[in-house]
Amino acid sequence: MSAVTSTPTATIPGGFSRVWRVVRLLTANPTTVITWPLAILGIIFVMNWAIWWLIYINLDSPQADDATDGIQFSGASTFIFVYMLVVAVQSINLSFPLALGFGATRRSFSLGSMLTFGMLSVFFASIMTLGAWVEGLTNGWGLRGSFFRTIYFAVDDNWAGQWWVFFCWFAFFSFVGMIFAAVFVRWKGFGLTTAFILLGVALLAGVAVLTFTDSWLAFWEGLGELGVLGISSSAFVIALLSVPLSHLLLRRATPRG
Amino acid sequence: MTPVIRVAGLDKNYGTGANVVHAVADASFSLAENRIYGLLGRNGAGKTTLMQLLTGQEFATRGTIEVFGENPVENARVLEKVCFIKESQRYPDDFRVKHVLASAPWFFANWDHDFADELIERFRLPVTRRVKKLSRGQLSALGVIVGLASRAPLTFFDEPYLGLDAVARQLFYDVLLADFAEHPRTVVLSTHLIDEVSNLLEHVIVIDEGRILIDADADELRGSAVDVVGARTAVESFTAGREVLHRSALGGLATATVAGLDDTGRAAAREAGLELAPVSLQQLVVRTTTLDGSPAESTNADLTNGESA
Repeated sequence: MSAVTSTPTATIPGGFSRVWRVVRLLTANPTTVITWPLAILGIIFVMNWAIWWLIYINLDSPQADDATDGIQFSGASTFIFVYMLVVAVQSINLSFPLALGFGATRRSFSLGSMLTFGMLSVFFASIMTLGAWVEGLTNGWGLRGSFFRTIYFAVDDNWAGQWWVFFCWFAFFSFVGMIFAAVFVRWKGFGLTTAFILLGVALLAGVAVLTFTDSWLAFWEGLGELGVLGISSSAFVIALLSVPLSHLLLRRATPRG
Repeated sequence: MTPVIRVAGLDKNYGTGANVVHAVADASFSLAENRIYGLLGRNGAGKTTLMQLLTGQEFATRGTIEVFGENPVENARVLEKVCFIKESQRYPDDFRVKHVLASAPWFFANWDHDFADELIERFRLPVTRRVKKLSRGQLSALGVIVGLASRAPLTFFDEPYLGLDAVARQLFYDVLLADFAEHPRTVVLSTHLIDEVSNLLEHVIVIDEGRILIDADADELRGSAVDVVGARTAVESFTAGREVLHRSALGGLATATVAGLDDTGRAAAREAGLELAPVSLQQLVVRTTTLDGSPAESTNADLTNGESA
């Protein structure tokens, strides 16, 4: 041994801190994960508000009631879910090679990603719930508008339920995004194309089964019975299953240039 | 002293059947602690694959790898002490240089902030620029800074000089040596600019087409071969029965790179009226990795290049 000891008696950080630094790596640039989605959400909201205003100044009262029903079918706020899917895909695809270069294990990386997107889902679900609450309070931002409480997400007078619905969908989009990103990291474009083809075949098979067994009515009735809460919770189950699956994919993945 | 890295019978194949590529083939070697190793070889020789195997980023087809006495794959105890910024390292799209330098310390227990700041200044790296927008040289500088400031007990530098100008390359070599003297650690430097780093390297591993061709101390290697220059007939008669790494000829003059020439051999060469010239590490590697099994054909162009260099 030389006089100057090089190899420090390295204390290995505990399991959680190994995971936590992956969380910090994935959120090292908060602009991407917090600032941008909020800014875009704000811009889309203002544009929607302007559109409601343009609609209502041109309508008389009975027509306005019709319009209120129609506005409920707005998909404007769904962009933020798709945005989180893209962020998840980008993170896995590009942060994975860097994390491994920094000496992280794939296990820490998977757990860190899950924790990151779990926390982001909690955060954005809270923002959306807050928006929904104000929307109810102000009678649709003074214009009977629906931005947060659209037909797809609204749960009546149950703020915990409302939060849960948003949370489920954020988790669904992030974690499903992680799976596709993991497929890409492992097998590149070829794997992704194959995955989409398989998914397409599976969906087609589902459609075929419903058609041949004349079950479409039962299918829609079933969805209706599940309701917004039930459908969202089912999406959350898929999200939960995605986590171990994406780790299984990353476990044998190699970062390539 | 226990080796930091021990590799035995290591194979890495890509593809299957007729298309199989042996990226690493039957490699066995070990690296001792606190030395600077050169991993030398041509492009596509298997240098990066080997380093990915050693850092658990790639999975071995066969054979064993021990880093700090353990298999590195998914092993936090091992990977905690390893830094490997690849030549083709990818970074998140939204990362600026400052994000890389802010996140690296979370992963490296020995990270030296002041040292990193000093290096940023000396390499003139623009910290607010997006990593995507960096030039090739700046990207290399970023990898070099992370590698040096991490002070990881096992640090890999993968062709760190790519795109760096002569000043920056010299800076890297100087800083590496100076910092190594103060904070000894095991450094593996993959390169094909061998002459530039030959004074840095204590031990050399030459890899070609996935096979380890040379695994020797740099000094020993430098002394292991010599160029024998003289009249073609004299060179031919002298080299008969000796191990010749390379031959070239121009008109009546011939040069042969002879391996393992001892003192008696050297004296015999001088008696035969031949001149002896040292072979640089680079020449030795070039001649070893261009052999294709049999001693190279003599080409006039070869000698001309040698003279003009």
